[in-house]
Amino acid sequence: MTLPDYHFISAPLWLVTTLHLLTLSLHLAAMSCLFGGALIVLWAGVRKQWAGPDAAGFVRVLPAATAATVSLGVAPLLFLQLVYPRQVYAAAIVSGWFWLAVIGAVITAYYAFYRTSFQAHRTGQVSLGLLALAALGLLYTSLVYSSVFALAEQPDLLRALYAKDQSGWVWNPALGAYGLRWLHMVLGALTVGGFFVSVVGQKAPAMAATGRAALVGGMAATAAVGFLYLLSLDADLPIYMRTTAMPVLVVALALALAALHLHSRKRLALAGLCLFLSVFGMVYLRHVLRLVRLRGSFDLAAWRIAPQWSPFLLFLVCFILMLVVLVWMARLFFRPEPEVESQRKHQP
Amino acid sequence: MHYPFWDQPIGYGVLMAVIAVFHVFVSHFAIGGGLYLVVNERLARRAGDRERLAFLEQLSKFFAMVTLVAGALTGVGIWFVIGLLAPAATEALIHNYVWGWATEWTFFVVEIAAAMLYFYGWKRLTAKAHLTLGWIYFGAAWLSLVVINGILTFMLTPGRWLETGDFWQGFFNPTYWPSLVLRTGVCVMLAGLYALLVASRLEAGDFKARTVRHAAGWAVVGLAVTALAQAWYWKAIPVAVTARALETMPTPVRAIVLSLWLAAALGAGVVALVILAPRRFGTTAALGFMALGMAWFGAFEWSRESLRKPYILVGYMYGNGAEVAQTATYQRDGFLSQITYRTGDDGADLFRHACRSCHTLDGYKALKPALAGADRAYILALIQGAHLLRGNMPPFLGTAAEAEQIADHLYQRTDHRPLAAIYPLDGLALGRRAYDLRCGKCHAIGTASDKAKSLAGQSAEDLSGLLDMAASLGEGMPAYTGDAAERKALVAYLRSLGQGGKP
Repeated sequence: MTLPDYHFISAPLWLVTTLHLLTLSLHLAAMSCLFGGALIVLWAGVRKQWAGPDAAGFVRVLPAATAATVSLGVAPLLFLQLVYPRQVYAAAIVSGWFWLAVIGAVITAYYAFYRTSFQAHRTGQVSLGLLALAALGLLYTSLVYSSVFALAEQPDLLRALYAKDQSGWVWNPALGAYGLRWLHMVLGALTVGGFFVSVVGQKAPAMAATGRAALVGGMAATAAVGFLYLLSLDADLPIYMRTTAMPVLVVALALALAALHLHSRKRLALAGLCLFLSVFGMVYLRHVLRLVRLRGSFDLAAWRIAPQWSPFLLFLVCFILMLVVLVWMARLFFRPEPEVESQRKHQP
Repeated sequence: MHYPFWDQPIGYGVLMAVIAVFHVFVSHFAIGGGLYLVVNERLARRAGDRERLAFLEQLSKFFAMVTLVAGALTGVGIWFVIGLLAPAATEALIHNYVWGWATEWTFFVVEIAAAMLYFYGWKRLTAKAHLTLGWIYFGAAWLSLVVINGILTFMLTPGRWLETGDFWQGFFNPTYWPSLVLRTGVCVMLAGLYALLVASRLEAGDFKARTVRHAAGWAVVGLAVTALAQAWYWKAIPVAVTARALETMPTPVRAIVLSLWLAAALGAGVVALVILAPRRFGTTAALGFMALGMAWFGAFEWSRESLRKPYILVGYMYGNGAEVAQTATYQRDGFLSQITYRTGDDGADLFRHACRSCHTLDGYKALKPALAGADRAYILALIQGAHLLRGNMPPFLGTAAEAEQIADHLYQRTDHRPLAAIYPLDGLALGRRAYDLRCGKCHAIGTASDKAKSLAGQSAEDLSGLLDMAASLGEGMPAYTGDAAERKALVAYLRSLGQGGKP
């Protein structure tokens, strides 16, 4: 009996890549609202820029943002593991303990957000200590992700590190390869978080001003660090420049600037869309850079494609249903029917 | 073979079990708890029962805290840990079932969103809208089980997938339906147990008694469904797998027996306490039931995982990541040629990839004590005949030279003094230790391969002669290489076995 071969991708590569980039963008958008938002409210709290009911109201949104970040993070990880298992698992194994500790860090952050949220609801005040604990958990997670995913793109370094130490206590020492990348991501989160804060705090001038400042300052800093990161690519840069990355970078930057402009005109929905598309552009740029870095050790085109159309169709139907149900539930929740109040009076 | 090996001191099985058992306990509650909340909310609203609605709101907070945070994140934790412990198997599963997992993710997203809105919606939404969200939550949560159950059961009973590679044939495999019913029963049972925990904190009175009885009803009904489904599940597993387990594998058999006792204790405990003292039902008893439930579920999952041995994907991939389809390649070119990440110490690399996913040297399923007093030739024989030992071990598929390298690696790390020098034993006690080391790895007393009866009437000389020709007695039997003192003690012990002596 010939056993089935599992070395295949069960859909055309463009489809899997699109799904990966789309879901990763959604995850990053949610994560940036959460992480950036938490850092901003922490910063504003420490400097006493805005606090009290406004900050408390914002903090109450954070558990939902955490839930969105976690649930939207599953799909991109799945698609990443589908296409790059040899790279991702290998890097994760070499840093096994740090990688596994991410779960503990996120659980701590999640509970801290809930606790802060309940406390804010009860007292109208924000516990900066709990918020700092949550932010610390997310900061750790972001560092591990940057370290591990950068290591996944350096197969020679990976082999050398493993040959020396197999315990899973290896932290990626090539800080130059991911330090700026990590900073770029954190500043990007501050930018998106700033936008999020300004939207939630539309009716609170101090909060809106803080959000706006984070949006503008964060975007400038993100662009500057992004530029430095490009320069740090050394030998990879000329190859990267010859890919589709450059035109996409220009478009992504233009979209980010458009988001700023639209935000200043209070056209928030459109500004949000431009900002999301800009994030999508950055995610695409990361994808291209990964392929550049892995050249010589990994060829995307080498995958055998053996589509499983009926399971894919099931997924597609469920995905569409998911979107419909999410929108329907959100409408139900955020726009309660007028009879709610009267009905509630008659309810036990 | 294509991945580095995470050489951590905790056994792989233990690490996986800690995260997985906790996760399945919470995640099954996430499903059953959703059903419990929405069914009871409907009943309470119909009856205009304010007290019960307040209780349900309190339960939903506990529910959200447990399932949204710990449940969801330990689920992600399983993703993380299986990628670290069994990357090749995870890769194989993802390539075959990516659309199954992606579909499950869509239910997961709806489940999380609905749970949050349900929790925050008690005072914001109409009764109808709130109930609708509750039903959506339960539906999405149960559908995520419907999907993940297919992938989980595939690992033990891939069925015709092994011949066709067809997604659906692997998904709707022989144990799919019994497992789905079993897990649905577990969901209902856990909903009752968690509700009992929250109810235990209520003030003593009629309402508490009513709530405790009702929650206990859920626990008992769930347990009954589970018990019936467990029998169905066992029958659905191919006889070749269950028969071999009963014959050679103590772990799953012990786990199954333990799970049956725990289920009986749980059922009897819930019924007795609820009948006798529903008003005074306290948190300690509720926590005790939770612990029993977790122990029962843990025992069941442990038996399910152990039954797969020597495979991680039955008939397809061994527990150490070696692929059945690559057997000829391993035997021809060797294991080492397939190991991508090398450390420069070939013996250690071979040991890690061939043995270390189940055995540690000092900790879980430790080899140092198991091989204490053994000589190199004996260790080598064990490696080459690994598939014949009790416990359903995978065969060693590498070359003879590689088996020697592993034997060297282990011999250098074990105590090779005579048994009598390692352990302060003599006489029958020393003989029993020698038996455990030299014979018991296959012929464990009380198992199907117990040969004690065949020793009846044999003299010391006969038994000593038997040891001399051990290597020719059966496939894979190693030659006896113990020293004179050990031999004398072993012969005495074998004689005692032959005379009906109990070990």
